[in-house]
Amino acid sequence: MMAAQDFNFLLATDSYKITHYKQYPPNVSKVYSYFECRRKKGAQFNEVVFFGLQYLLKKYLAGPVVTEEKIQQAKVFYQMHFKQAVFDEEGWRKVLEKYDGRLPIRIKAVPEGKIIPRGNVLFTVENTDPDFFWLTNYIETMLVQMWYPITVATISREFKKILAKHLKATTGSLEGLDIKLHDFGYRGVSSQESAALGGAAHLVNFCSTDTVAGLLMAQQYYGCPMAGFSIPAAEHSTIISWGKSREKDAFECLLDQFPSGPVAVVSDSYDIFKACKHIWGDKLKERVMERSEDSALIIRPDSGDPAQTLLEVLKILEECFGSSLNSIGYKVLPSYLRIIQGDGIDLNSINEILEKLRDEGWSAENVFFGCGSALLQKINRDTLNCAFKCSYVEANGRGMDVCKQPVTDPSKGSKRGRLSLRRNSDGFIETVERGAGKPEEDMLVTVFENGTILQEYTLDEIRKAAQLWEEDVSPSQHNKEDSTTLEIHQKCIMNGVH
Amino acid sequence: LESNPTVTHYKQYPPNTSKVYSYFECREKKTEPTKLRKVKYDKTVFYGLQYILHRYLKGQVVTREKIQEAKEVYREHFQDDVFNEKGWNYILEKYNGHLPIEIKAVPEGSVIPRGNVLFTVVSTDPECYWLTNWVETILVQIWYPITVATNSREQKKILAKYLMETSGSLEGLEYKLHDFGYRGVSSQETAGIGASAHLVNFKGTDTVAGICVIKKYYGTKDPVPGFSVPAAEHSTITAWGKDHEKDAFEHIIKQFPSVPVSIVSDSYDIYNACEKIWGEDLRGLIEMRSADAPLVVRPDSGNPLDTVLKVLEILGKKFPLVENSKGYKVLPPYIRVIQGDGVDINTLQEIVEGMKEHRWSIENIAFGSGGALLQKLTRDLLNCSFKCSYVVTNGLGVNVFKDPVADPNKRSKKGRLSLHRTPSGDFVTLEEGKGDLEEYGEDLLHTVFRNGKIVKTYTFDEVRDNAKLKESELEDLLL
Repeated sequence: MMAAQDFNFLLATDSYKITHYKQYPPNVSKVYSYFECRRKKGAQFNEVVFFGLQYLLKKYLAGPVVTEEKIQQAKVFYQMHFKQAVFDEEGWRKVLEKYDGRLPIRIKAVPEGKIIPRGNVLFTVENTDPDFFWLTNYIETMLVQMWYPITVATISREFKKILAKHLKATTGSLEGLDIKLHDFGYRGVSSQESAALGGAAHLVNFCSTDTVAGLLMAQQYYGCPMAGFSIPAAEHSTIISWGKSREKDAFECLLDQFPSGPVAVVSDSYDIFKACKHIWGDKLKERVMERSEDSALIIRPDSGDPAQTLLEVLKILEECFGSSLNSIGYKVLPSYLRIIQGDGIDLNSINEILEKLRDEGWSAENVFFGCGSALLQKINRDTLNCAFKCSYVEANGRGMDVCKQPVTDPSKGSKRGRLSLRRNSDGFIETVERGAGKPEEDMLVTVFENGTILQEYTLDEIRKAAQLWEEDVSPSQHNKEDSTTLEIHQKCIMNGVH
Repeated sequence: LESNPTVTHYKQYPPNTSKVYSYFECREKKTEPTKLRKVKYDKTVFYGLQYILHRYLKGQVVTREKIQEAKEVYREHFQDDVFNEKGWNYILEKYNGHLPIEIKAVPEGSVIPRGNVLFTVVSTDPECYWLTNWVETILVQIWYPITVATNSREQKKILAKYLMETSGSLEGLEYKLHDFGYRGVSSQETAGIGASAHLVNFKGTDTVAGICVIKKYYGTKDPVPGFSVPAAEHSTITAWGKDHEKDAFEHIIKQFPSVPVSIVSDSYDIYNACEKIWGEDLRGLIEMRSADAPLVVRPDSGNPLDTVLKVLEILGKKFPLVENSKGYKVLPPYIRVIQGDGVDINTLQEIVEGMKEHRWSIENIAFGSGGALLQKLTRDLLNCSFKCSYVVTNGLGVNVFKDPVADPNKRSKKGRLSLHRTPSGDFVTLEEGKGDLEEYGEDLLHTVFRNGKIVKTYTFDEVRDNAKLKESELEDLLL
């Protein structure tokens, strides 16, 4: 696997890193750094899904990433950018000469898909040749972008926990869980590449998406031919183009065009409640009732307060089409009729909505959710406090554990020495610092060395590793009065040994 | 061919539709409680369309292979044959894979009030009416460069105000907010787009990718549009060991004697570093530096305003302060401060206001911003939206719109649109084709793309020129 040819690796870093080779202590021969999602007091998320490194390795880091042409391009560029010659031309030429342009770097990482408590090492980076001590942190900028697929996969999984809880409680099973949250985020994300990466990260937990780029990413980088599915759906233009007085004709066209599978129809162009009551529930009622469970009409509200709108819509649809009780005693609309709420959905609102539905006796099977920016864009590196820090150096033949420890913010303190990750005797995952870890216990796997990818994961494997656990699903574990459960759960997420 | 949700839309338009016309705007939010948002974002900077046109829409965008591939992907994805193979083959055959659409847009860099049309898209071939909204997903991603450029410009206004008030000039304004965001964005591509958008307003950046985007898609008369200086990071300090922070500092300033050098000083104790190491141990070395090559002290933790004030206070005791013409304190020219942690538009305002209150000139400081500059933004900040406003069905033009009962803010514009200036100099969007009446003179929207060709481009210099702070804006800020 070779990295993109026209991409200049030498230009893919923060400018100031160009100047760092001059700043390390003399005779440094190794710089060893690591990445973690730092713990923060009162943080909302306690564990993370590790995902996305394979994409970076394959796309940008593997194979010969340095050529003479790229060195020259970088040299000219940095001369103008810094208004002086500060670029380490010799250093990069050595990479070219000694290693054919392949990076003399070793990366060890947690297997992709694994769920790891905050505050643990997730991957480490070090140079494999003393001449290239400066390379470890040169690639920090690129590797820290791991915050994104990790955060999307984590948030997506948090959504899954909430959905699982409510689905289990109101239906007795988890059937259909993996299509409950549809990715609507393509247009609201900052670029095509982010759409692909974020889209793929969501597919670790679910398999419904409209972000096609994510499917292609999963196919190309994670060996999954088709990671997600969708259904025909309307958008406002295909409804309003019929004119305000012909909304019924627009709706009918959709039923006609897509008779044999589910179809989602946005119904709030003018008045969602009237559309449900007079068009779906009256003028087109028979057409709707003709449809089967496999070709359900899925009504889509897209404005107003999500919970209130949903409840009102359910009420209207119940009046028009009736409802029945499922085996647990919650109300379900007829199987040919469902709703998808794709506006204003985030972790808070989805929980609120499902609780309100439950309070009113409605099963979670009635509703699907679509999420756009809250899934793919409304997150940042601080959401999980992702950071990359140097923890160990070797100089003059001696190793030294290093760290930062700012008096102005103890939570920004970093780990010391060479690190490993293990499951301790209580079964909890922890980081061992200062090189004290036993290699046979280390969960970190060498995935990249000297330009070659040594370990790959398929999306199937990743999905399996990222599955929800029993305690995420069973409502009883969320009993706040059960302090022992909470204690054990918290012990699970404690930081490592210092 | 990757714009998914619209895959099935060609079947959903009314029969005999021969034209679909849509537009893009940053909607106004009239009913928003303004107390929730300190910054109003009344106007937006239009930027980034040229990148999208060049990268994704121009020239031959489909081939027989791509159509085949898409057909297979969508068959699996929908578990059904819904892909418009016929429509795409038509485009391949008749137009050699070039897109028969026309896009008219406001000049890049233009600063336009919310609620106005910024660009329109229309199909130019009756068979390809469905194409207009096919390209929606890709075009709506313009929300990102628009939002970065707009948010960056609003910060420029804050800096301009306080710089002028505390120093009497705007010298150095363009270097007051440095882009630190490369690692904090979601991808390499985003880094390039976002960093270029920031450079519409400023010249300091560490996000190299942005410069590459500008050179490739816009062009500048200068060799590069953005600059940086040597700077330390924590690893280059901590690698020396906890007891050798002074050695690290000394080594680094000596490596870069004749250019500005920024040195992160909070690895262990920022206040001790400022007082003892910079203020005493290495003071001689710093005093030797010229005004063109200051030491720039960088705190990187703690409450931003408190930390900045305390650092200034400590440095002010160790180095001889001067009072400038406006009566504000300035450190000697060989030492400055850069705050690059926790900076967003709100904390920026707090810090410069706090500095002014404590009689510190903004000449003393520069800012770095990462996540808040390039990542902590969404399409909702400026309510960026793409909507269909006009269709031709059975030969008749119909003005169309959405108007959801539960949200008047989501109402869209009707009919064919144009943008004009009123006699008083304001902007107005005319709907329902009223621009044809020529009451307000020429349409400010220019055709930039037609049938696969980019017909009008802007250089980055033009973009910067269009986006620069106006005299009237500066006057308003200083009132």
